[in-house]
Amino acid sequence: MISSPNRVLITGVSNPLGAEVARRLAPQVPHLFGCDVADPVSALEEMDFVHADTRHAVIAKLIRQLSIDTVVHMAVTVDSAREDRATHETNVIGTMNVITGCTGPSSRVERLVVKSSQAIYDAGPTDPSFFSEDMVGPERQGSFITRDLRELEQLVGEFTLRNSGCDVTVLRLGYRVAEESTLAKYLSLPIVPTFAGFDPRLQLLHDEDAAEAIVRSVIGRHPGVFNVAGSGVVLVSQAIAIMGGRPAPVLLPYGRWTARFGLRAMTGISLPGHLADVLAFGSVADCARLAEEFGWGPAYSTRAVMDSFARGKEAEVIEAPSPTQEYELQVFLQRRRRQELRGQSAASTSLVTRR
Amino acid sequence: MSAKPADVMTEPKKQLKRRSRKADITAPAPAEFGLPKAVRRLRRKAPAYAMQGLVELSTRLREATGHEIIDLNRVMGLAQFAYQQRELAHRGTAYAVDDFGFDPQWTESFLSVFKVLYRDYWRVETTGIENVPATGRALLVANHAGVLPWDGTMIKTAMFVEHPQPRHVRALVASLFMGMPVLSWFLRRTGQTVGHPDDTRRLLERDELVLVFPEGVKGTGKPFKDRYRLRRFGRGGFVSTAIRAGAPIIPVSVVGSEEIYPMLADLAPVARALGMPYVPVTPFWPWLGPLGLLPLPSKWRIEFHEPIHVEEYLPEAADDRNLVMALADEVRETIQKGVYENLKRRRSVFT
Repeated sequence: MISSPNRVLITGVSNPLGAEVARRLAPQVPHLFGCDVADPVSALEEMDFVHADTRHAVIAKLIRQLSIDTVVHMAVTVDSAREDRATHETNVIGTMNVITGCTGPSSRVERLVVKSSQAIYDAGPTDPSFFSEDMVGPERQGSFITRDLRELEQLVGEFTLRNSGCDVTVLRLGYRVAEESTLAKYLSLPIVPTFAGFDPRLQLLHDEDAAEAIVRSVIGRHPGVFNVAGSGVVLVSQAIAIMGGRPAPVLLPYGRWTARFGLRAMTGISLPGHLADVLAFGSVADCARLAEEFGWGPAYSTRAVMDSFARGKEAEVIEAPSPTQEYELQVFLQRRRRQELRGQSAASTSLVTRR
Repeated sequence: MSAKPADVMTEPKKQLKRRSRKADITAPAPAEFGLPKAVRRLRRKAPAYAMQGLVELSTRLREATGHEIIDLNRVMGLAQFAYQQRELAHRGTAYAVDDFGFDPQWTESFLSVFKVLYRDYWRVETTGIENVPATGRALLVANHAGVLPWDGTMIKTAMFVEHPQPRHVRALVASLFMGMPVLSWFLRRTGQTVGHPDDTRRLLERDELVLVFPEGVKGTGKPFKDRYRLRRFGRGGFVSTAIRAGAPIIPVSVVGSEEIYPMLADLAPVARALGMPYVPVTPFWPWLGPLGLLPLPSKWRIEFHEPIHVEEYLPEAADDRNLVMALADEVRETIQKGVYENLKRRRSVFT
């Protein structure tokens, strides 16, 4: 049994998180392969890129032909609002094909790392305050992403049981607010429609920590299922205030689809079903098992993730706006909004429009 | 401003001048602008004048009647409440809630109001507060009554009024309320969490003081004729959790909470339709509308009993059904006895 990974395949390498994982893995492994349906955002010299779709059985052949020993399966879509065939195929059928490639006597796969999500817990009012890894039950019918993830993890679980020679790590990554995720778009609205009478806790994970957790489970040997999320929580209203927006409690908490429809009509953001539940009831994962097994925890706390996101959006993080600062903050936000609307050139003259 | 300095330098002077006059962001005018100076000063000093007047009035009344009519300590308490609310409004995002969503500063801002209710409205008499440890974990178990959970609020307030080392009490609430708007937000923010064994364990492991009402909504929703008769104590789950976490159980008897809303009937069909545990009918609710929500000023007594040291058992004992049920019965008996004794000490419902 080889103790360090030799030939590594990353599926779904073209999304930003996949690219970051590839960038971090490249100096640490001898042979790195990546596959995705889209071209990678930035070229990586050490990586051989293959155009391949996990939804086709060809992926199994690819794993065998390249004699891969470590598979990092990241072609899993979580942040999708539309219940369509393609998402289901990617998440469930794609995982099935990857697992098929890892099974059988001709396979040389010794390590499988699967990216899952905290969305598998699907927040609700009767849930305990913290989700630990064994709290995934078939009792409740969640949103379609939750059901997909549950099916995906079931497939992975069966594979783990049948192949004791293969170390399987499932990482349930927390909610992330980087790039163009729905949660990021939602929180950076100037006026944010929230659920009336609800202000749940929000737990976030920084992209760097997500990539680090995946890299650590590839290099190290940590079989099992782990929650990965930042420590601490922020309230939704607090997160909105950090982003410089204002909460508007207008969404009805009863009948999730009315709220989702309302939000789309008001802001054009289509919220995935599981995210609507999180914004009403909150979802916080217990990462004790990760700390114990990995000896490592996310470097960014939830608050730090929120602050760095706000700074990335070039919003000033004002610790406690006193009345005199508030006016300056408004000026700043107005200017920022105008810059976004008209582009940089118009923004330079935007202070002078009205007599 | 993102204008490059070079652009500004090369631009014709005339254009610069025109631009500078066109600034569309103007500083907000002071709100009081236009009012006469005397009125403005009066507005600024109004709180101080009000306090002075009140002190004067209080002294005059004391001299005239020989009694303390206006207690200035209480007045200061309310002034403090207003001040704290203003502070809260100005703290922006610079605060942190704990992992359960508890915001101590926010919670403490309501204490001055609850203290007025505690001292003046229900005239709570608390005994045995020395049985509550100043540090370390403990599980408070109390009887539950009175439609709305004012008994929990008063136990929390008692810890701040009576205890030499005030602590926050973290109560467990039915998951039903966590799904209700406003309630879920308010309860979590003031330190409550879901009544789930996992949550209880976590709170106790953090050495918190946890309050549990094993009767649940069966206790708060019981009719007035059954007052002070304790309901079934769940399935003894709180005992198992306490044994596993190694926390002593402190039984608490509350007297007075039954009379704040005398529940004459329960509109069960309406409750079922609204997804609520019960919809009470009292002499004032729903007949008087929001006025019916005003609790009656009954006389309250709270007694903290001697701790039952279940931490002496091994954690495996938590699975022993006989032991758990025996301990749960012991706790229930203690509370029931305490309720009857405190009822005897009370002269009447309102005194």
